[in-house]
Amino acid sequence: MQEAELHDLSDDPDYVASQQQGSGGSENQKCTRKSNGPTEPNGSEVVYSKDNVAIHPTQYASERISGRLQLIKRDLSLFMTWIPYKQSASYGVGQGSRVKLPEKDRNLYTIRAVPLTDVRSIRRHTPTLGWQYIIMVLTSGLAFPPLYFYNGGVREFLATLKQHVFLVRSADDANVFLVNDLQDPLQRSLSSLELPRAVPVANVASSSSSLASVHSDDNSNQRSNADYHDSSFSPTESVGRHRQKVRDPARDLSIQVLEKFSLVTKFARETTSHLLRESQIFDNIGGYEKQQQVHSSPVKNQVGGDPVSQELQDKNQIISDPLEKIACRNGKLCEAAATLVGTFELIDSKEAEQQSLVWGKPRLPPLGHEEWATFLDEEGRIVDSKALRKRIFYGGVEHGLRKEVWKFLLGYNEFHSTYAEREFLETMKRSEYETIKHQWQSISPAQARRFAKFKERKSLIEKDVVRTDRSIPFYDGDENPNVGLLRDILLTFSFYNFDLGYCQGMSDLLSPILFVMEDESEAFWCFVSLMERLGPNFNRDQNGMHSQLLALSKLVEFLDSPLHCYLRQADCLNFFFCFRWILIQFKREFVYEKTMRLWEVLWTHYLSEHFHLYMCVAILKKHRKKIIEERMDFDTLLKFINELSCHITLEATLKDAEALCIIAGENKAACIPPGTPPSLPVEGGLLE
Amino acid sequence: MATTGINYIPAKLVLLGEMGTGKSSLVLRFVKGQFFDYQESTIGAAFFTQTLAVNETTAKFEIWDTAGQERYHSLAPMYYRGAAAAIVVYDISNTDSFTRAKKWVEELRQHGNPNMVIALAGNKADLVDNKQVEAEVAQTYAQDNGLLFLETSAKTAQGVNELFLEIARRLPKANPTQPSRMIVVDRSSERLVSTSYYCC
Repeated sequence: MQEAELHDLSDDPDYVASQQQGSGGSENQKCTRKSNGPTEPNGSEVVYSKDNVAIHPTQYASERISGRLQLIKRDLSLFMTWIPYKQSASYGVGQGSRVKLPEKDRNLYTIRAVPLTDVRSIRRHTPTLGWQYIIMVLTSGLAFPPLYFYNGGVREFLATLKQHVFLVRSADDANVFLVNDLQDPLQRSLSSLELPRAVPVANVASSSSSLASVHSDDNSNQRSNADYHDSSFSPTESVGRHRQKVRDPARDLSIQVLEKFSLVTKFARETTSHLLRESQIFDNIGGYEKQQQVHSSPVKNQVGGDPVSQELQDKNQIISDPLEKIACRNGKLCEAAATLVGTFELIDSKEAEQQSLVWGKPRLPPLGHEEWATFLDEEGRIVDSKALRKRIFYGGVEHGLRKEVWKFLLGYNEFHSTYAEREFLETMKRSEYETIKHQWQSISPAQARRFAKFKERKSLIEKDVVRTDRSIPFYDGDENPNVGLLRDILLTFSFYNFDLGYCQGMSDLLSPILFVMEDESEAFWCFVSLMERLGPNFNRDQNGMHSQLLALSKLVEFLDSPLHCYLRQADCLNFFFCFRWILIQFKREFVYEKTMRLWEVLWTHYLSEHFHLYMCVAILKKHRKKIIEERMDFDTLLKFINELSCHITLEATLKDAEALCIIAGENKAACIPPGTPPSLPVEGGLLE
Repeated sequence: MATTGINYIPAKLVLLGEMGTGKSSLVLRFVKGQFFDYQESTIGAAFFTQTLAVNETTAKFEIWDTAGQERYHSLAPMYYRGAAAAIVVYDISNTDSFTRAKKWVEELRQHGNPNMVIALAGNKADLVDNKQVEAEVAQTYAQDNGLLFLETSAKTAQGVNELFLEIARRLPKANPTQPSRMIVVDRSSERLVSTSYYCC
């Protein structure tokens, strides 16, 4: 096993590259350090510099962007920068393949002087084998892509950091380091604010102690009045009113406090409302108390239909202002977009809680034979592929047509090919398949004994195919030949793409394809096409999954900021609870027929090639209320998400996802970085 | 959640081991009393809870069932971090899976919680005819490394409850139950008090 593992890594060009760069890289590091000097002329001091720290915009080693990570001290503040090397100096680019990345891509990832006060936490990944990397999460909730330390040194980085900022290990996760996280939120906010001297001392003493207790409760998710709900909150309204509110010291304070907390959920509002409530000590409004506290509050009588109550209303809206502002600013969204989201939220909240957004266009019946024929010219070319993709996006395909249509959607057949060309291709591909298959079939038992990797792969595949969809009639029963076909195709694929090999989840992806194609060679080539898109999901370093989960996080931040903020508070921003959804395209979440329907919709790439991510957002959004109200932690959330299996309504979710995709509009580019799988081959012809 | 007046001691438990050794089957047997010949592979991870009364206390197992393939190894720390207990599973009919199990034990010793209760489970004990890993060998290894060891069969239920029970007994008694509270469990026989189910 151990040996196999080593084999695995040595097979990995990235790994090999990183190993080889190890020695050369450190050499280089010394050079740059010397040339750079510890102190820059403008009074800033480089306290840490590390070369060969890379970002992977895609799964390809050749598209790695290497750069230098530095910590710079200026005045009393510490800043972090990561500057990619100039293309010519880019020894980080994988050997051989000198892929030039567009300059804008490189700029996109550049991290320019981020103050460490903006960093909320740093998660380190220091596997025993492979690269170390860190993920930085800003207080805004944005996370930088993983920074890979090709020469190691994460520990040194953290140690240096610790000398300059307050760094504590998270109690929940030993690999997460919280930056500037003082235990007491009030202390934290107060310590970072220049409070006016005029604060009545007595008041501070009494309320800060109660505040501290409130917050410790908050942190452990045990607050009894969890039912607090700021019903008066409406993003649009608050965006609109934002400008009218001017220079109120208490408000400024609250904004700053809020920014320190940077929690944009209802919980945040809840939390900050406490802060704000307590901060009445900085404010001369006597009975400044939240309505929600009326029942237990001694100032009960002051809150009613009187002016104070009106003031409270206003305060509530003020509370939401900066939060929205933060969300917008950090999402680099224009105000119009924020308004759009606000409107959208508003409409959403008008719906009955269980109802979803019924925004998407009405779904159509699946594409049938007659209609299909209208898309083809005399020689079998698809004249208007976009119209076809649109049609399928809105209704899917009748089962009898799938065998023909899927080949186009997957890119195995080209839309403009003729009947004759396709027939020819099929023959060619059939023989090519046999050739590849023969490669492993011809391995003799004696040879196999000396071919650990082959034996191991075969064993992995055999373990999985016997437990793939065995309840489906097509695969059920002992000695079912279709199970054998699954095995043969997967084994052949692991020879066709030896670097990727076999990975758990692939059998799930192949099963419906074989079921539809009912032909070994055709199923194989369709699977190959699918893996062109989804292969990164199975990368050893999980980079393909990480980038999709990151994109999902950004989408949720944009499209459902209350949920995003809750997830941040619950430390669930890694979105790992959606891992299964993304890895195998919801295969385990729907019954077989619905899975096939979903897949053909996804494969149209009609509105977005990342439509599956909008599906995720749609489902999460639908359950947001439950997730937040029940204060699900990571465990509970994962369990909840797993248990949604077979309880998701496909058509409604598709409509919601469509609506979300439209809402994201131009901003999807900001949320989903280029190269996020499934990336289309440039010459794929799907998106003309 | 502790709603019945019983003082639950939460215990995070993680299952690790080579793919196809029966991790999910062991959990399903323990949590739901079920067994499927063709239990589907675990993608990502699955989470279950199950309570188990031991003497004065009730352990509430929070069980993380993980994907076994080496490719997903990098995700494992996310699940074993902070775990009070781990079951490292191998398949008695597969020597490689035992080798892999030993690697998991090493990793847990290095990176896991130092007080972690680690159990080694030789699963598929019903496959006596294909046995490749002798119990004595595993037992010796377990003794040398301070592990709890049992041969189990998720299929026949052999050793499954015993395994979890023994783990529960060894958990640090950080939070003993107040004896005055009502407990609906017969003290003389330790048994399952409640279950919570997974999936549809």
